[in-house]
Amino acid sequence: MNRSILIKFILIITTICLTDLITNSSYAVEPDEILKNQKYELRARNISKNIRCMVCQNQSIDESSAPLAKDLRILIRDKIKEGNKDEEIYKFLTDRYGDFILLKPPLNSKNLILWFFPFIFLILGIYVVFYHNKKSG
Amino acid sequence: MKKKILIFPSILFFLVLSIFFYLLTIERNPYEIPSNLLNKKVPIFEARSLFKNEKFISSDEFKNGITLVNFFATWCKPCRDEHVYMKSFSNEKSVNVIGINYKDNPEKTVKWLKDLGNPYKDVLIDKNGKIAIDWGVYGIPETFIINSNGIVKYRHVGPVTNVIYKKINLIIKQNE
Repeated sequence: MNRSILIKFILIITTICLTDLITNSSYAVEPDEILKNQKYELRARNISKNIRCMVCQNQSIDESSAPLAKDLRILIRDKIKEGNKDEEIYKFLTDRYGDFILLKPPLNSKNLILWFFPFIFLILGIYVVFYHNKKSG
Repeated sequence: MKKKILIFPSILFFLVLSIFFYLLTIERNPYEIPSNLLNKKVPIFEARSLFKNEKFISSDEFKNGITLVNFFATWCKPCRDEHVYMKSFSNEKSVNVIGINYKDNPEKTVKWLKDLGNPYKDVLIDKNGKIAIDWGVYGIPETFIINSNGIVKYRHVGPVTNVIYKKINLIIKQNE
């Protein structure tokens, strides 16, 4: 009895893990978008994975089926075919949509506080806890 | 001393709390992404006009007074809702209203404008959405205000409502 429950449990967990793996690795690139040159296509996929879908906001354009995501995927492929470097494509997109379009925003003067505030609070917190403990001890 | 050490975190906590409270009270949409074009020159683009035979070249336009650029489509319900405000803007002498028809059927657009009235001085065709990308558009309708120097002064995402209409009018007056 216990063994059958254990097998069922393992089966359920495996199914959940597999489903998660499949959904996480899914992408929205349609066959007509794929470039014949595999090197170019790989570059386009890598860039697309770092570009936020401005419509859904929590997905990359590689995963999103929103029409704007598709337009951006096509635009990236066109830019690659035209001979643009990756940096030039990222610049083209950030010039129009800002750093928000990047899923990993770069560290710059505008978002410096956002990057360092958690560390400042952590240091402050540690200091307060240690000082408090020292005094009460 | 114990009390003293707790004063600083308490002040900091209330400071952060008051910032959050302030952000809740002011009129802002946290989902709206600020335009990267604000206070920059309008994007350079060329487009075909729906009604005119000549090409629209952005570098030649946006010099004569304030321009309101509205991205719209006939398949977009909020565009229909805001159309009445576009007509109100077109009645103002100081504003040139230009429509950019986003991924639409030209014949349907002509009929749509015939039925509802055409508030646009010129209607530009953005067949594949590339002009919209140049303007950083992510959800139509979107409305931009450009001053007489060709600088983008305001962007609104979503339909123009009565509140937004008043806000845009104020911005127009400030840039006159």
